[in-house]
Amino acid sequence: MLFNSVVYITIFQPIVIGGFYLLQKFRNPVWAKVFLFGMSLLFYGYYNASYVGILIASLLLNYGCSALLEKTDAAKTRGLVSCLGILGNLGILFYFKYFNFFIDNCNFLLHTHISVEKIALPLGISFFTFQQISYIVERYRKNAACRSFLDYACFITFFPQLIAGPIVMYDEWLPQLDNWRERNKTADDFYRGAALFILGLAKKVLLADCLAVLVNQEFKSISYLDMPTAWITILFYMLELYFDFSGYCDMARGIGKMMGFTLPVNFRSPLTALSVRDFWRRWHITLSRFLTQYIYIPLGGNRRGLIRQCFNIFIVFLASGFWHGANWTFVVWGLLHGSAMIAETLFARMKTPVKPDTAARKNAAGIFMETIRRFATGVFITLSFSIFRSDSLKDAALLWKKLSAGGCSGKVLRLRDTLRFPENYVLTGIVEKYFPQHVDALFLFYLLFLPGCGFFFIRGMTAEEWIEKRGRTTAGAFLLATLFVWCFISLSQVSVFLYFNF
Amino acid sequence: MKQKHPLKKLILFIALELLALFGVVWFFDPFYQYHAPFGSGKAVLYDRDNQVVGTVRNFSYDSVLMGSSVAENFDTGYLDDRYACESIKIIKASGSVADLLYYLDMAHEKQTLKNVFWCLDLFALDASPTPTVFDGDSPPAYLRTETLFDDIPYIYNKEILFEKIPLQLDYARQGKNTGGNAYNWAEGKIFSAARAKQAYIKPKTNKAPKDFTEEKNNLEENLALLTQEIAAHPEISYRFILPPYSLLWWDCAYTGGELGKNFYLLEQTLPALLAFDNVELYSFQADQEIVCNLDNYMDMIHYSPEISQYMFEQLGGETYRVTKENYTDKIAEMRNLAKEITEHDIYKYYEMPPSDNNA
Repeated sequence: MLFNSVVYITIFQPIVIGGFYLLQKFRNPVWAKVFLFGMSLLFYGYYNASYVGILIASLLLNYGCSALLEKTDAAKTRGLVSCLGILGNLGILFYFKYFNFFIDNCNFLLHTHISVEKIALPLGISFFTFQQISYIVERYRKNAACRSFLDYACFITFFPQLIAGPIVMYDEWLPQLDNWRERNKTADDFYRGAALFILGLAKKVLLADCLAVLVNQEFKSISYLDMPTAWITILFYMLELYFDFSGYCDMARGIGKMMGFTLPVNFRSPLTALSVRDFWRRWHITLSRFLTQYIYIPLGGNRRGLIRQCFNIFIVFLASGFWHGANWTFVVWGLLHGSAMIAETLFARMKTPVKPDTAARKNAAGIFMETIRRFATGVFITLSFSIFRSDSLKDAALLWKKLSAGGCSGKVLRLRDTLRFPENYVLTGIVEKYFPQHVDALFLFYLLFLPGCGFFFIRGMTAEEWIEKRGRTTAGAFLLATLFVWCFISLSQVSVFLYFNF
Repeated sequence: MKQKHPLKKLILFIALELLALFGVVWFFDPFYQYHAPFGSGKAVLYDRDNQVVGTVRNFSYDSVLMGSSVAENFDTGYLDDRYACESIKIIKASGSVADLLYYLDMAHEKQTLKNVFWCLDLFALDASPTPTVFDGDSPPAYLRTETLFDDIPYIYNKEILFEKIPLQLDYARQGKNTGGNAYNWAEGKIFSAARAKQAYIKPKTNKAPKDFTEEKNNLEENLALLTQEIAAHPEISYRFILPPYSLLWWDCAYTGGELGKNFYLLEQTLPALLAFDNVELYSFQADQEIVCNLDNYMDMIHYSPEISQYMFEQLGGETYRVTKENYTDKIAEMRNLAKEITEHDIYKYYEMPPSDNNA
């Protein structure tokens, strides 16, 4: 099920939030947990019930490992069980996500003709698999207790974060489930949650989906792009991806908050980053945290010298690339980021202070340098994500060729059909009919307006900051209500979230 | 003023805004799902897939004009004057018998009909006898049902609010697609031989005559549906119009091996319909002046509004009337024309193949 669908907003959400609140009134919390688990499965299997079977099989495998770890203190046995558990998870992930990719590459390299049926990728498999690997590891380390199956199932399948994250750690969610009596939050918390949900919905529906029209159209016909259109397309994509994914995460956090749970922050204005390292502190934070905690640090992190540190960074970004998808485009994208991180590590001056140097900000030179760094980082990120979006490395190479080809074929003016929206229908109609000589100027305005809006929101406050500062006034409530209704009337053509595929 | 939790206000604002939107969409109702235009307001009809259901359900009428896109440019205002009736158009892209009967059944439920003018497409006679209106979004399910509960995609839809309602107001102001010109799409279209020829690339070789056993079964079922409808409503006058397709269509049928099938459809359909006293049938298919002049067309089958008007003016006359007595002659006339088209007339517009030249 999609958060940005009429069925979710009008039926599922009221039932799940209302039902969960009511069932928590019972003395025995098990009813509320059973309800939550059941509704999460319904949410997950809404479009394809067979996915539920895969999810439950994965839950049973991991819970079985956890139960076995509970029964033994022998280090070898614990290590064996944990390894088998992790391999089991990776095996499931490999089969559903990488098997076709693996066969295709075998066929290419070995000149074989092995043919296998296309295996459907269950939604969010990378997310719930990583979450369960983290649980197994923490169980092995004896940092996590063996809970009841119901508690464990509620944790993994908690529907706001099930399909596209954030990747929640056991120790930040399960204690919240325990405190079910204290979770009877105030209307203020509920309001914050609702406001966050609305702002996330607006990011997705009003910004990402509008940007996506141009992106989808132009990525289908890369060979026809000229240089300006190619740059516009990748810029639009970067903004689309950010608003799509951060919108989803805001909605997930908002729903969590409405139900009395706090989910971790996944984005902190990543497109204002001063360096690639800074970007990864702000973008998909819970994935970076997972990779740091379970790959980078176990490999030795920065404790074994510079060369080893660079190697560890390389491995982390290689894993990140593969995690995002079974395509060489993701791998190359990961390696590009890894290379940039390694370069920043080697050239320590490029390292970003956690907080921008306030003294430097005071003088013009400092501001200028900061702007240059933001711009350079932005260009790198945008270019690298153009590979991420391409269907193949061949397409990505062609796109990069277009980006650097020079010249202008006037294609920009032919983008107008991708900039027609119901919201600008009347204005466009009036200009086309009464001021046809200004039509090109109008569409150029639209072309600037969308990314302009995007940059305005990127540079401004985060959703939560806005709610705290402005959202809790009557005017704020009115604005939120209007945004919600605007989103609601935009749901007739629903689009899926980009990160569902990962 | 900052408040602790303006939750009630948020809910109130959302409720008020949703209510206001409902009011706006209900009032303007561009697909006429809830009511016909208020007072002297003109109905603006430009979107057959979404508006036919509403007009059939909520308009006041005693006659209907039915057909595919070739019937859209008919001016029903002429029919209203001539037959002292109040008519609406029922259009379905395919013109299939089953689809049109689905709407006609709906019309019977809502109104007492006096006249049915049916622009009967030859290709609709062997189409599937199962309605396609339930498949896909043409029209969407929420428009077909009468309940309000599934109307969210209509009431809360920014395309309705920001596009359809302004368009409705603009068209009403211009008088476009109003009254008898409902669904008229002729504006801005070019009817010329050059334009029509773009729709047809004449194959270099002809296919062998096709087996049409399945089509025969479809025809049988479609004819059963049609005759049941006519028999069930003896009080209604049914006037069937067989529209004139261009010589391109006939040549296409000939080269595609379907000419035999088309004449079979005619041979079966005409006597079946003419068996009823409340049926009048007019065929324009054999009018060489229309069919063989591609300047009347924009593609293989779509003729200009002037031809539509001419056909209406001929209703009631004897020139094009098909009767029990003359239908075999009319079919023979059509066969002769088809022969003349495929042997001579088509080559006014297309090059004769070398083999024919040699012959």
